[in-house]
Amino acid sequence: MHIAEGYLPWEHAAAWGVASAPFVVHGARALTREVRDRPENTLLLGASGAFSFVLSALKIPSVTGSCSHPTGTGLGAILFRPPIMAVLGTITLLFQALLLAHGGLTTLGANAFSMAIVGPWAGYGAYRLARSLLDRRGGTMPLDVAVFLGAFVADLSTYCVTSVQLALAFPDPDSGFPGALAKFGGIFSLTQIPLAISEGLLTVLVVRLLRQSSRGDLIRLGVVTDARVAREEEKTK
Amino acid sequence: MLPIDAAAHASSWRRRHPADKAVLSFGLLGCAVALPPWPGAVLVAATVLVVAFGFAKVPARRLWRAARAPMGFAATGALTLLVSIGADGVAWAEDGPRHAGELLARSGAAGLAMMLFAFTTPLSDVLPRLTRVGVPAAVVDVAAVMYRMLFLLYDTTARINQAQAGRLGHRTRRARWRSVAGLGSAVFVHAFARAQRLEAGLAGRGYDGRLRVLVDEVPISRAFVAGSLFVVAAVVATTLLLVSVVP
Repeated sequence: MHIAEGYLPWEHAAAWGVASAPFVVHGARALTREVRDRPENTLLLGASGAFSFVLSALKIPSVTGSCSHPTGTGLGAILFRPPIMAVLGTITLLFQALLLAHGGLTTLGANAFSMAIVGPWAGYGAYRLARSLLDRRGGTMPLDVAVFLGAFVADLSTYCVTSVQLALAFPDPDSGFPGALAKFGGIFSLTQIPLAISEGLLTVLVVRLLRQSSRGDLIRLGVVTDARVAREEEKTK
Repeated sequence: MLPIDAAAHASSWRRRHPADKAVLSFGLLGCAVALPPWPGAVLVAATVLVVAFGFAKVPARRLWRAARAPMGFAATGALTLLVSIGADGVAWAEDGPRHAGELLARSGAAGLAMMLFAFTTPLSDVLPRLTRVGVPAAVVDVAAVMYRMLFLLYDTTARINQAQAGRLGHRTRRARWRSVAGLGSAVFVHAFARAQRLEAGLAGRGYDGRLRVLVDEVPISRAFVAGSLFVVAAVVATTLLLVSVVP
């Protein structure tokens, strides 16, 4: 879900643009350094961005029975790290605005703040925390739990931030910001909980399949380590 | 191809410099966001529709299809403005319908102005020129690879989806979950494998880290830009005049 073009008053649109700018500039510098040191990574980063774009267009069955699209921010942050996701996510949002009319140019800053910055950072934080707490147990379960939490938190935090952005822009005439947050949160965040669970489950399944079919890429991206893979292979023997 | 990009490539304004179209579209977008919704947004929407259908020959059906999703978001969000939450619980908001109408008008007009640019300007014309406005070359290169690869990945996604459906992969809820997960991971593997093949191909051609592409050197039309500025100025002047005459 993206805030539509022209939805925010111009002062809010500009303020969210300013708030997002340092993260996107930091990410752009990290990306420029990465490409300068390893030029061949331009293609891998482009592929990663295209994957994020296509991932957000997949239809996932929701646990309530309906269908929705994943945000892809959790998986993106786990695979490519939040600073890179700030840039790739912002480019993805720009493409979605100009190729699909989802989101907009004046709301790019606000959408980037929720989907390319807060979502990936919150999801990655939850993922790292879960891994540091559970990794000692060994096996694949800790990784599955961490991936689920990462994707769930990234999805839900994205929509919570969107609700805050809308509540700040349109405060309730009687109760101000808290009342507006209750209204927008009720529509955009509470309804998102089953979808966030769906995205978490989907992400776990995707990472499980990737561990079988694309283990080398996961090792290169630092999602799993050689030692962990060796340990697991030892166990399966 | 995606419908908006296909329409942009077939547009009668395809050969115009992107800056020409940016002045007109983004000027009207600025009007939609900054001017009072009544009558500013209405004037912007009417101007965009006249320009889109009368001059740029934008296909009406595709424009309508593209506009439905963002209007759905705008309508859902506008519903919240109809009610207020106070100490006595939920009640109808005073002036709620007016605020909701203004929000829908502003968002609709701004969306149309943005789509005027999107429906007339392919991204492949815009991306190589972004370095001239200060976007780092590395970011532009990554965006260019993304743009070229996402159509291939869309195609791959559609084919895998079709194959899964043919193998009854969408029949039950459990099968649908398995199919979507398989689809996501297959697209990841395809994307990385393709990037590695591209990398190997470019390395054999002396790849030095820059992806240079030929850009059509189309001149900026002073007449078009002047006309665009006139249209934008006319919208601003008419809005301010109507606001002062009809309070």
